[in-house]
Amino acid sequence: MKNIDTITVDIIENALKNIKEEMDVTLFRSAMSPVIREQHDCFPMITDASGQMVVGNFGSHVPEVVNQFPEGIHKGDVIFVSDPYSCGGSISHVNDWMVILPIFSGEELVGYSSMFGHVMDVGGPVPSSMPVTATSIYGEGVRFPPVKLFEKGQLNESIIRIIKANTRTPMENYSDLMAIVASCRTAEKRVQELCERFGIDTYFGALEALLERTNTMMRELITNFLPTEPVSFEDYIDDDGLGNGPFKMKLTIWREGDHAYFDWTGTDKQSPGPINYYLSEPMFKMFIGSFLISVFDPAINFNDGFYDVLHIESPEGTLMRPVEPAALGCRTHALSRLFDVLSGALSINTPENSPAAGYGTSPYFIYSGYDQDGRYFNLMEVMYGGLPGRPIGDGLDGHSWWPAFVNIPTEYLETYYPLRVEYYRTGKDSGGAGMNRGGNCNEKLYTCLAKGTISIHDDRSTLQPWGINGGEPGGSSSKTLIRKDGTRQDLDSKVDNIEVEPGDQILFITGGSGGWGDPLERKPEQVCMDVKRELVSLEKAKESYGVVFDPSTLEIQREETVELRNQMRRQRGNLEAFNFGNRADVVKV
Amino acid sequence: MYRVAVDVGGTFTDVVLQNESTGNIIGTKTPSTPSDQSIGLMKGIQKICEENDIELSQIQSIMHGTTVATNAVLEGKGAKVGLITTEGFEQILHVARSWTPAPISAWMGFIKPDPLADLIYTRGAKERIDAKGGVLTELDEDQVRSEIKSLYEEGIESLTVSLLNSYANPTHEQRIREIAEEIDPNILVSISYDILPEFREYERTLTTVMNSYVRPPMQRYLTNIQNKLEDLKLNSRLSIVRSDGGLMSIPAAASLPVHTMLSGPSGGVTAAAMIGSQTGNRNVISFDMGGTSTDVSLTYDGTPRVSRETKVGVFPVKSPSLEVVSIGAGGGSIAHVPPTGALRVGPQSAGSEPGPASYGSGGEDPTVTDANVVLGYLPPSLVGGEMKLDVEAAEKAVQRVAEKLDTDIYHAAQGIYDIVNENMYGATRVVSVEKGYDPREFSLLALGGAGPLHANALGKLTGSFPVILPPTPGVLSALGFLQSDIRNEYSRTYIHKLSNLDRENLIAALNDLYLDCHSWLEQEKVEEDQRLIRFEVDVRYFRQGHEIPIKVTKEELDNVGVSILAERFSSIHEQIYGFKMEVEVELVNIRAIAIGKVASPSIPMVGEGEVDASGAIIDHEHKAFFNGEFKSTPIYERNLLKPNNKIIGPAIISQKDTTTLVLPGFTAAIDKNLNILIEEGTSL
Repeated sequence: MKNIDTITVDIIENALKNIKEEMDVTLFRSAMSPVIREQHDCFPMITDASGQMVVGNFGSHVPEVVNQFPEGIHKGDVIFVSDPYSCGGSISHVNDWMVILPIFSGEELVGYSSMFGHVMDVGGPVPSSMPVTATSIYGEGVRFPPVKLFEKGQLNESIIRIIKANTRTPMENYSDLMAIVASCRTAEKRVQELCERFGIDTYFGALEALLERTNTMMRELITNFLPTEPVSFEDYIDDDGLGNGPFKMKLTIWREGDHAYFDWTGTDKQSPGPINYYLSEPMFKMFIGSFLISVFDPAINFNDGFYDVLHIESPEGTLMRPVEPAALGCRTHALSRLFDVLSGALSINTPENSPAAGYGTSPYFIYSGYDQDGRYFNLMEVMYGGLPGRPIGDGLDGHSWWPAFVNIPTEYLETYYPLRVEYYRTGKDSGGAGMNRGGNCNEKLYTCLAKGTISIHDDRSTLQPWGINGGEPGGSSSKTLIRKDGTRQDLDSKVDNIEVEPGDQILFITGGSGGWGDPLERKPEQVCMDVKRELVSLEKAKESYGVVFDPSTLEIQREETVELRNQMRRQRGNLEAFNFGNRADVVKV
Repeated sequence: MYRVAVDVGGTFTDVVLQNESTGNIIGTKTPSTPSDQSIGLMKGIQKICEENDIELSQIQSIMHGTTVATNAVLEGKGAKVGLITTEGFEQILHVARSWTPAPISAWMGFIKPDPLADLIYTRGAKERIDAKGGVLTELDEDQVRSEIKSLYEEGIESLTVSLLNSYANPTHEQRIREIAEEIDPNILVSISYDILPEFREYERTLTTVMNSYVRPPMQRYLTNIQNKLEDLKLNSRLSIVRSDGGLMSIPAAASLPVHTMLSGPSGGVTAAAMIGSQTGNRNVISFDMGGTSTDVSLTYDGTPRVSRETKVGVFPVKSPSLEVVSIGAGGGSIAHVPPTGALRVGPQSAGSEPGPASYGSGGEDPTVTDANVVLGYLPPSLVGGEMKLDVEAAEKAVQRVAEKLDTDIYHAAQGIYDIVNENMYGATRVVSVEKGYDPREFSLLALGGAGPLHANALGKLTGSFPVILPPTPGVLSALGFLQSDIRNEYSRTYIHKLSNLDRENLIAALNDLYLDCHSWLEQEKVEEDQRLIRFEVDVRYFRQGHEIPIKVTKEELDNVGVSILAERFSSIHEQIYGFKMEVEVELVNIRAIAIGKVASPSIPMVGEGEVDASGAIIDHEHKAFFNGEFKSTPIYERNLLKPNNKIIGPAIISQKDTTTLVLPGFTAAIDKNLNILIEEGTSL
């Protein structure tokens, strides 16, 4: 490594972080897909010349992709890819469109910028292109292997024509793609400025030092916090929408010296349906890094530098490493559940340091058809749920587990789509009881105002989100179709193409989350506030927390509370570190 | 006759007096009185009058920047607010758009502040209006009456009404206000349609609740001031400075206090624009570096950027304000080395207690100020300074970082200095390049006590020259207030695709807003010939996320038609984002801006001097550390500098409220208004 002073490294690190922010801003402001723009389902990255990520939010795939161009990569080239199987799973379903752009300073390749975002529709049998019943990737819409969208600065119009012919939302997709390119170009310009300012050698030296820094840090985290004896943890996905399931995800973790091992052996084999999650190794390493950093030291900037100290085993043919052409469209269940499993495994020896399980997926409400003016509409709304009880406090009610996502304003929905929201609130009692209460789910009742079809993606409808450190499990998700004539029909958590008429309603209830710590240790005053805020019922206050109220004044009845709590303590026996709720009844060994 | 501007800060209240016939300006400071800011305000006015032998009755007008509203929010000392929403949407503030911070897993450490209206005091009204303004469910008056009564029984001090789709039809909100006022006319009611008749219910509700939250403390404060003015038999017109740099009367401030959340910072921005223009630089990036934070803003072609969303604490408030980006980097920011071996500066700050190590009040952590002391940029005995800096303590503090970095204290201090500059550079990019402006086409202006020490170095990073150091960077906000006009905005959501937009309909809608502006200017007693009303239309691609405000006149709409909006939008979109699209364009909001011009006399010039500035040198022997070595760096006394003087760097220019550093390779020139202008090069 070139000898370069540490302060220059810090300055370049700061500059790179700023560039990453600028990439996001550029995209948010100009994208059309509400999933990118309002909900921020997009991921930026800047790599060094060899393709290692130096700053960003996902794992690098660049070497694997650029190697697929025998003619090489040139100035002005822009690579576009949407096929998970040709980039090692860096994008994990065909709705994620990724752009990779080589950055040259003068004639020298100095790195790549890359960004991917979730576009609204990529064709296939179902609007929004994540059919619940797909049994192979061929049934999930158009798939682009790595292609050059721009070749030496020249736009390849044929690709644009193919795109437009294969989606229900051609204009939106086209502009989203251009917005992603614009965002990568922003990074290109800024990195070039950095190279001019510091000189290429210094820039490279700084990148190397940054990678080295993260590596050192991660070795320290591993040594301090991971067990030398293997620990395993299991969680489940309810089903695959085709009647199979539940699917087990099992992770075993241990360390040898300052290297860590993450082994998915024991995970169920891949599903016939689309819930498979092609877990990219670099992506998983990034998740691990991000998780450890959040738990133990949030100030650390992470990059690819620590990847050689993490070792991943994911057996081929399993849910986490499906074989092409397995369907991948609905992978968010496994993707989110992965964190519950990771968190669970890491906390087996120290449950007091980790949060419980949350709503554990990314619930979607998809509604499409033709509105009163005959204009095609296609709404895909990401929903949220209960964030788990945590060591530092209560879980948040109806919040996003996904970073920086936000909900879609009701006034926006009602202005642009033929629907009405009757209520939008969090579900009382759906957060598991705990000294730190689990967050409540979301409950939203829609009235459809146009004939159309509905799709629903959700999970945790059978198995509950677990509680930790003595906390109770949270509530499950559910969906109900209420026909205009009042007849009610329960819907599965994964369904497509439900036909709706004007006046039909959908009640969308997401999962709650588990509580943290002994509910009998929760201060009665906190329980009282929850009751007054209508987040916890009087019954739950009594049954789970042992707090008794005067129902007319909502005053705490102190003596009765002490007595009830003592009695409950005597009767319940020892508290388990993990409370899996109904798992034993649902999962047949 | 005279005009007075008063800026109440955390520690000091700055007062600036201007003679209306000569334009002469004099400033003074008095300690702030946080428990009741009006005491410091009146003391400051009396003090400046006494110091200059002026009768109170000679003061024609007072312009006042206040932090009462902001402090109420930041300190959680606002009113007990009740909130009426549409039934089924009571948890709107509780859910707060479901946002959690990045990156993945960061929610685990996310501490969320309580909403300004508790769920306990939030009630749903049985009513419903659709997105087009049609009534779906009539308001159940009895039900809402009984809810309001119950809230009032629980001791609610201020009531907010924010109903779904009320931006399209305010009748239910207005009726609920009537009902509430029937129940108790003494409790203030804010309705969302009055505060922000734009769509997106969370932001509208939050902004209205914030207005309710700060309204009682603001009213108490304004009443205090009025009483004091009456006691002194003062007839001056008192105006409150708004976040967008405009002025409003006391009654307006009492009902719309949410528009004063950034009252103070706006003064600095206005002043930066004014001084920029004075020096012939109409494009200015200004940065106000204080003890704990730095505010950065941008002025293009003499006009500061107005933003319509700002953050107060973590709350996104939709209220027009001069755009200011704030980062946690200031003179008190602490340098530290985490286990990765990186050198970090901030966001933790030593604050004023204990303050930087060199202040000698027990601080041990190395701060940016300490680094400046070690480097010799901040001379230990400041001319006119009330405080002697403890060099040894600064060196000891920086040594702690140097050890971890395995270097000497001078390189460590240089590192701290460079990194804090880099952090501020990041903030200047947010206001410039991210908005499509090239900082090299701007000059850089420093405000605040710590700014001038870093201005030259920051200018080098941004490429913004000249670097401008005004004569009194410490009291610049108050100076800015003197330049303010009376101002207000009226807007409404007006969602129409351009393709089926009727020009006459748009003109009529703008005309309604024009009339609102007109009657407001009447109320504010602005003379006819001083009135100006402008229009803006927020435009975006159909269903895109962000709107861009486009200026337009009725004449243009008459002559060219609505297509002018699409043309302007396209070219601005291309300027900012680098591309445009063949996609339908839609209007989202329309807005009218009312301006009442306030005459502000220009600041007089000073007699000229010569190029040679050696007469102002007060220390020939001083040395400071640059690029690995100590160099001879003479110290100049700013008060002795005259127009036309030039100083070749390295040099230090010292004055009562700040210290300016001129780097090697740069030259500082004094202009006719006593501004220092730093340019690259070393020729006289």
